[in-house]
This record gives sequence, C-alpha cells and structure tokens, in this order.
Amino acid sequence: MVNYIIFILVVAGVYALLAQSLTLSWGLAGLVNLGLVGFFAIGAYASAMTTKWGGWPIPLGLLAATVLGLFTGFIVTISTLRLRDDYLAIVTLGFAEVVRLVASNEIWLTGGTDGIAGVPSIVPRAWGQGYHVTMLAIVSVLAIATCALVRHLAASPWGRALRAVREDQVVAAVAGKPVIRLKAQAFSIAAAIAALAGAIYGHYTSYVAPEIYQPLITIYVFLAVTAGGVGRPAGAFLGAYLLIGFLELTRFMAEIVPGVSPVQAAATREILVGLALILLLRLKPNGIMPERNQKAPPSTA
Amino acid sequence: MSLLINRRRFMAGAAAGTALMASPAILRAQAGPIRIGTLTPLTGSGGLYGPVMANVVKAVADEVNAAGGLLGRQVQIISEDDQTNAEAGVRAARKLIDVDKVNAILGTWASAVTTAVAPLCWENKVFLFTVSGADSITQLPHNGWLARTQPNTTLQGRKFAEFCLEVSGGKRAFFMMPQTPFTQSTFNNFKIAYDKVGGATELLIYDDKKPSLRTEVDQAMRYNADCIFVGGYLTDTTVLLRDLFRAGFKGKIVGPGYSINQKLVESVGQPEATEGAYGMLPSPQEGSNGWKKVADLTKQASPDPFSCQIYDHINLAIMAMAQARDASGQAIRDNVRAVSQGGGEKVDNAVDGLKAIAAGRKVDYDGASGPCDFTDLGDITDVKFRYEQVKAGKMALVRIA
Repeated sequence: MVNYIIFILVVAGVYALLAQSLTLSWGLAGLVNLGLVGFFAIGAYASAMTTKWGGWPIPLGLLAATVLGLFTGFIVTISTLRLRDDYLAIVTLGFAEVVRLVASNEIWLTGGTDGIAGVPSIVPRAWGQGYHVTMLAIVSVLAIATCALVRHLAASPWGRALRAVREDQVVAAVAGKPVIRLKAQAFSIAAAIAALAGAIYGHYTSYVAPEIYQPLITIYVFLAVTAGGVGRPAGAFLGAYLLIGFLELTRFMAEIVPGVSPVQAAATREILVGLALILLLRLKPNGIMPERNQKAPPSTA
Repeated sequence: MSLLINRRRFMAGAAAGTALMASPAILRAQAGPIRIGTLTPLTGSGGLYGPVMANVVKAVADEVNAAGGLLGRQVQIISEDDQTNAEAGVRAARKLIDVDKVNAILGTWASAVTTAVAPLCWENKVFLFTVSGADSITQLPHNGWLARTQPNTTLQGRKFAEFCLEVSGGKRAFFMMPQTPFTQSTFNNFKIAYDKVGGATELLIYDDKKPSLRTEVDQAMRYNADCIFVGGYLTDTTVLLRDLFRAGFKGKIVGPGYSINQKLVESVGQPEATEGAYGMLPSPQEGSNGWKKVADLTKQASPDPFSCQIYDHINLAIMAMAQARDASGQAIRDNVRAVSQGGGEKVDNAVDGLKAIAAGRKVDYDGASGPCDFTDLGDITDVKFRYEQVKAGKMALVRIA
C-alpha cells in the first residue's frame, strides 16, 4: 500500500509539472495547447535516447530534453503565429499526433512501436522502496520549484503583459507590448516544462513508447488545470494532485459497490470523472482556486 | 454561502479521501483468499475483448472455489482496467501489486502495456501472463517471470505466408498492416517464405486511424498482387476491405482471424466486400474441452482467441500454485512448466488438475488456446491454426492444422 501511494504521488507530481506548463501557455498566455502530450513525448524520447543509447549522464539527458522542448516549442509558436483559440488547438493537437506517428514509424531513430525499454533510472532501482521515496522527493521538489517559478513569472511585469495579450492582443500591441515575442517565450518555456516532465516520467517508469503519449494525457491535464483554477499556478498544482487522487479513488469506490462487473466498474469510473467535472464547473466555475486579479498600485496623486 | 470551499473544509475532505483509500488495505490485510489480478483493456481500443476476458477468469475462479478452493483457500479475482494505455496500465498494475497483493497478473493485451507493466511484475515477484504478440516482450530481461500464449511473429509470419501462397496459387502478395511492434518482424518472416518459392511481396504500413484508405488501396492495386494480406485490427480492416472492394480487387484476401470474422462481415455491411476473405488464427483443436468451455462461458459460438488464452492463464496459475503447495508468484514462476508440459495426466481445467495434483499425479495441461507448452523464454512452442472463409456472409471453417 505504501509503495502504491508513493507511486501515485510521483505520477501526480509529473502531472503537476504538466499542469504548470499548461498554466503558462493556456492560463496566462491564452494559447490553447492541445499538443501538450507531444512535448511530453519529445522530452521523454530526448532523455531516453541520449542516456540509454548515447551513454550521457542523466542530468545531461534531462537538460537535453528541456532544451529540445524549448526549441520545438519555439518552432511550433513561429509556425502558428496567426492562430488563436480553436485553430491553434487543432494545430497543436495535430502536432502531438505527428510526434506520435514519427515515433512509431521512424524506427531507425526511435525504435518504433517497440519503444525504448530499460531507460536508465535517476537513482538505482535496486534501492527498492528507497528508490521510490527518492524519486518522490525529486519530483515533488521539481514540481514545487516549477510552481514557484511560474508564480514568480505570473506576478512579474512580464506576466502582466502576458495576461494583457491573453485578454486582447490588439490592445496589448497598441500599448506597446511585443505580442509575438511574449507568446513565443511563454509557449517555449511551457513546452520545456512539459518536456522535462516527460523525461522524468520516462526515467521513472523506465519505458518510453509512442502508445503512451495519447491525447488522453493532455485531456487529464486540462481537467486538472480546470479543476484547480485556470491562470493560477498554485491552483494547477493542487488540481493535478486532486485529479490523480480522484482517478485512483474511483477504483476503490467502484469496488465497494457490490455486484458490479469489471466492465461496469470501468464505466462507472469514467462516469464519476465526468460527473465530478460537471459538478465542479457548476459549483466552482473558475476552479477551486480562481485566478486573483492583481490590485492596481495605490494612487500616489 | 455554504458552497464555498475554504481551506479547512478542503483539508477535511482530503483527509477523508485518504482514509477511504487506506481503509480497504486494512480490511484486506487478514490472511484470506489467494488473490490474482486481471489487467485487461476494459475501455479504449481493446475494449471489445477485455470485459469478456475478465469474466472468463472470474468464472474459472468461481468453479475452483465451488470445488473447495485452492490449498484450502478461496481464489479472489481483482479486475483492473488498463484503458489500452501504458500510463494508465502502470497505475492499475501498481494498485494490483501494492494494494491487492496479487500473485499474478493475467491478460495484458496491448504490447506497449505489457512492456511497461512487465518490469513492475518481475521486481515485485508477481507472475505475468500476457496475450501480446510482439517478439520483443519475451526478450525483456524478465528472468522467467513472464509467459505468453500468443505465438510470436516468427511463427505467425511463416504460417500467414504459407497460407497466402496456397489459396492464391500465385506468387505476388501485398502486405498491408498498421505500425505495431510486430509489423516489421511479421513481414520479415512472411517475406522469407515468399522468397523461398521465388515469389515477390511488398509491405505497406498504413495509419490505422484514417477514415479512408483509398490511396493505400491504389498502391496495392498497382502492385498487381494475386493476394493481399490485411494485418490490421477490426476497425481499420473494415475501412480497408470496403476500399478494396470499391477499387475492384479480384484476388484473394487473407488476414488474422481477430479482424476477419463475423464482426467484420457485420461492420462492413456490404456482403460482396467480405465474401471469400480468409481469416486465420492460432487455434486449439476445435471441440477440445477447454475451447467448448470458453465458448460456453463467453456465449460465443467460436470464442475469440484472447478469451481462450486467458482461460489458460488462470488455470495454469492455479495449478502451478497447487503443485508448489504455496500461494505466491514465485510458486507460479517455478512450477508453471511443471503443470503445462512434460507429459503426465492430460487435464483441461483447473478443477480436474487440482484433484490430480492432490492425488500426487503429474499433470500436463492442454488448454483452450493450444497445448500451452512454454520455452525457457516464455514463448509457446507449438500452436495450431484455424482457417476460416467468409461464405455467403457466414464464417465457414476451412480446416484446422
């Protein structure tokens, strides 16, 4: 049981990292990034390939993943400059599918659908429970640090400008804000965070394969951010833990109900997830921790 | 208003949630039943097979329990959903291993899920039975903690080619399959058989999520094949067969029986498009007791191969533990071959097997999916194939060999 809870907390930590990524790109910059899982995959592959096949030390692998995430994030932004809202969502969704298809079909590069098994772990797996506890510490510290970073960014003048772009980019441009640069920066940093999360997850579970990176993961992260509070880093952080906690809790809830067949239990879980989302959006439409407006400084006149 | 969730209320809720999560473990902590987990796809793209598979395992456990249980204890089945997704599958496997303390996990279906779950199993001394076909799975460093009943692609690719050569009478085959962990290796072995007789064959990998496969079919038509092998799953094969029919393909169509079957005839909806297509599957002797039993449990006239395979998994797991007189994953790992092969009294279900083992006799299990003899790596050594053809919109048996 203890191992299970630790494992779930590590997974939740990875989701918390992804949620920070989404908070930055969607919550603050208003860029609907349905390609989140694509960046997650890029990070996982970058780190797995460099450390397993290239023999790089793991910190370098993580760095490679982050840098590659930053770079692909930048490429995606400059190729979608004119897109917003639904159109951007469609293109980014397509981007994630492209990543998955390339990973499946470019066998010489990625190992194809077999994936990469036996990705080196950050600390020795032989430590048993110690391994999981150490990973929990690493992931939690990273998640908290990223949350603090995004909070800091959001509160900075840069963050305010970003929100101005989110609300109305024409107005922001008229006010002299460099709209394109702001969007590119936010999106690239967000992609780098997602890639880092992917790298960590790959090292933790020791297996990377195209089938892991399905849109389901993106949807879960959107759920987490929506539940926690869009545009509020602490909310997204909380939302990720709540989401994973809830997803796992539904297993036990479905088991308690007597006379339910496994397939009914699986369906019940999905119903519960949907129901929870509807209830949440009815009762707390802005999430558990809604975004706070920054007060204007007191007038000095 | 009272709907407001403040921090205190949230903490109370979270604490209650944690307590709920912790409580089942306490309830379950007493030495009670012997637990075995199933991890089949109940939702997602494998969702057609997983539910039936889970029910088969449950039914076998019920029979064993009704006949007095295993080592004087009841067998309890815990079924989790892998959502046909490796990330979700790993979470479910963690729960089975750490919370439910299962000795074995049965029935992982998608190869990616199996590959992701396998390390958890061998690290925690839980035996893994799988129906995944990718060659790479048994080559994992599993140290004997894994066995599968699905033949690997070396065997399948050769059998597919031999049958294509036979029914088409020609020597040009076009091989169409989506990208899967076993696509390339199945084709390689397919090609070896064609090369041997001086034939020609070409591989086309298509995207199985496309709504139309017209361009792929055009490519196949240009190749002027006398036989097309369609290696996808049910949904994409439906699209492919429709497009092949529209393009006027006149040669033979051969595919695996998990996609060319009665369900396909119904989902294509155009009788002419599927008429004459062949499906072939690893199969036991039709009419073996195990096979009949699974047909009975699943209420299918000819049960799907995965239900047959998982029926064998649960029977083998139970008998291996009885043989060792120990209910643990280690016992299954060390004894699965002692009950599955090597001669002895032939049994086809765990209830009979348990009686024979209790009487001190050596058993050799022959199941619903085949003879169930395993190599040291965990692959099955021999399998029969069942060949069927669509005739007047119904599946007609060609032969079993």
